[in-house]
Amino acid sequence: MLKLENLSKSYGKGEIKAVDNISLEVRPGEIFGFLGPNGAGKTTTIKMIVGLLRPDNGRIYLDNIDVWEDPLKAKSKISFVPDTPQVYDKLKGIEYLNFIADIYGIPADLRQERIEKYLDIFQLRHAIGDIIGSYSHGMRQKLVLISALINDPKLFILDEPMVGLDPKSSYNLKEIMREKCNEGKIVFFSTHVLEVAEKLCDRIAIINKGKIIALGTMDELRQHSKEKESLENIFLELTENE
Amino acid sequence: MNRIWALVKMDLRNSFRLSAFKEKIKNREDIVHIIIVIVALLSLLPTYYLLVSGLSNIYDIYLNIGQKSMFLLTGILLSQMIVLFFGILYVMSKYYFSSDLNILVPLPLRPKEIVGAKFVSLLVYEYITVLPILLPFIIIYGIKTDVNILYWLYSLATIFFVPIIPLCISSILVMFFMRYTNIGGRKDLLRTIGYIILIIVLIVFQLKLQSISQRAIVDEDFLYKLITDSTILVRSLGIVFPPSMWAALSLSNLSDISGLLYILLFVAVSILIFFIMLFLSDRVFFKGLIGNLEVSTSGKGAEVRLEDFQRSSLPYVAIAMKEIKMLIRTPVYLMNSIGGVIIVPIVMILPFFMGDQESINLLRNLLKNNQQLVNLIGVGFITLLGIVNNVCSTTFSREGKNMWIQRTLPIDPRDQIKGRILSSIIVQTVGIIVLYGSLAYLGALTLEGIFIIGILGILGSIPTGEIGMIVDAYRPLLHWDNPQRAMKQNLNVLISMGIGALYILGIGLLAYKLMDIINIFVIYIIIALIFILSSLILYRGLKKVIEMTLANLE
Repeated sequence: MLKLENLSKSYGKGEIKAVDNISLEVRPGEIFGFLGPNGAGKTTTIKMIVGLLRPDNGRIYLDNIDVWEDPLKAKSKISFVPDTPQVYDKLKGIEYLNFIADIYGIPADLRQERIEKYLDIFQLRHAIGDIIGSYSHGMRQKLVLISALINDPKLFILDEPMVGLDPKSSYNLKEIMREKCNEGKIVFFSTHVLEVAEKLCDRIAIINKGKIIALGTMDELRQHSKEKESLENIFLELTENE
Repeated sequence: MNRIWALVKMDLRNSFRLSAFKEKIKNREDIVHIIIVIVALLSLLPTYYLLVSGLSNIYDIYLNIGQKSMFLLTGILLSQMIVLFFGILYVMSKYYFSSDLNILVPLPLRPKEIVGAKFVSLLVYEYITVLPILLPFIIIYGIKTDVNILYWLYSLATIFFVPIIPLCISSILVMFFMRYTNIGGRKDLLRTIGYIILIIVLIVFQLKLQSISQRAIVDEDFLYKLITDSTILVRSLGIVFPPSMWAALSLSNLSDISGLLYILLFVAVSILIFFIMLFLSDRVFFKGLIGNLEVSTSGKGAEVRLEDFQRSSLPYVAIAMKEIKMLIRTPVYLMNSIGGVIIVPIVMILPFFMGDQESINLLRNLLKNNQQLVNLIGVGFITLLGIVNNVCSTTFSREGKNMWIQRTLPIDPRDQIKGRILSSIIVQTVGIIVLYGSLAYLGALTLEGIFIIGILGILGSIPTGEIGMIVDAYRPLLHWDNPQRAMKQNLNVLISMGIGALYILGIGLLAYKLMDIINIFVIYIIIALIFILSSLILYRGLKKVIEMTLANLE
């Protein structure tokens, strides 16, 4: 289970509260969507979970491991896909994947099986021997996705994962997210694409100005909203009222 | 000109992170950070003071032989040579490998506008490099000689124009170099080898000129000339690089019109070369650049064998291999790290290589009779290379925007240390082999030397590497747009060198004091123990710093 407790983070001299005392729980087997307008605090929250930003206050637990108290143990269960696929552009694709597998200590036969599986799903096999510097944005995105799947993470956390992916890869990624969730893993992702969230997520949180303004399943969100049709309407209503 | 100025402003703002700095000085933690860096820099002052007071003695020596203008030539020549040699890498990186080129090239700008702007921003760095070297010379001369206001005015002009000619020469050399090495396939390798050859050729050229000019003045009436002509040495030795000579002559001939003429000549030639450089850039810059930004793919898809999927290694070995691959495949890194450990030992023996047979034989005998000393100096030299190779002192800075990978993966700080030290040792091994070669050429390599230099050299590279890593882990420079910024224009390198030099100096002094008292093999063992012990102590500190930095970066 992923548990965020009273999480806060501010920038500057505490003037700008990027994340303001948020708490939530995500259960195993859940796809959790994290929605909000630009600058709402989505990426800041995600960065705190994966160890890129130290929270000012609050705690983050993954399976009762405090992410900031025992980072090595927690990180070995987490995989992160950032919003910009920045990777070592002088390495070859396969070298990068092997590097990641070495760090997670994945045995040779298992890594081969997983790498080959995802290379085929994302159709990247042809380029895997090339230097990453020669990849397009989408290809880098796929490489980062594959590298994040090598260790079969307990928590799969993605920041705007659909940006830059072609329709087929985007579809495949959604399938993989569903598959991970069926295996009892947690999938936590942020997105702007409301249809994706609406169709894919078991539960959704809407964050605005650092505060969670709505949390629940699609049905629960509908009940609290006047505009009961689409997530888009609920989203607009909630974020505009703030 | 307006456009060049706009580009320069943007570049400087970006390079020195001026906007971010304004934010930084508001934050208390950052202020503490800045203060620690200032203290670290201040710790370099004692060494600097020693050097400067040594300079004062050199002035007295020149004064005694009636050639005090030589003192000025030494300072100016030294500054210009440093700009020329370091300039080659700076220029290559700034003009050809910086990431802003992707934005600048598609804009409606002429090549000379891009080059002009990059030149001016490099110039700012060069002033920062040159001032600590040149100022002591100018000030010591000014204070010890009875000078008038004209001296200080000419000095201002000299300081302002000193980096221009050498930086223009570097720019021209690099632009043609890149133009003619811009040929598909393995151009990175071609360029690295070319770079090493270029540097060696430049040095050989300088040494040849020097030996010619030295021979020219040693004739029968040399002593007579020395007494009657107070600028004879400057005019003879200055031939090596005439602009330095003009500047030195202008500052030493204040009283007559020739002083004015020399400074005018110096300024005019500087300006002229600058415009020639701009003129040439319009013709060759893009030819070396276009195609350079593209990364070639194999087209048919590079073959990946089954073994490639099954290659597994321990985490620290994976980190070391990643470091080495990145070093080898990034030309600027390769030239600085491996290029450095190859060039430095070769350059050290070049003067002997070019000298006459008699002096080589003399040196060979000298070395043969002092084998122990050769071994000790060899160890010191390799240990020093452990800092000069820049591998550890920029290891985190080189991660740049990829730092998120290191921070989100479950990497034990111990593996970080072991892996990164291992990568430095691999680079060091290349240096050790080249040193063996150089020593063998001088007939000073023995079997015992191979073992002592190899083992103690590598043992000594560990603590010096750790010192560099502590500095770099404490304040990694992650926001850079061209790789040179991470490697050479990184203050961490300078701070590590300062601290590392003190460490080596301390051990060297100890060895020197012990030499007459105890057996040399006991000294070797003592040195080995010091290396091992300090490695362990530094390791503990380093582990804490890495843990702290990786968690707290924002």
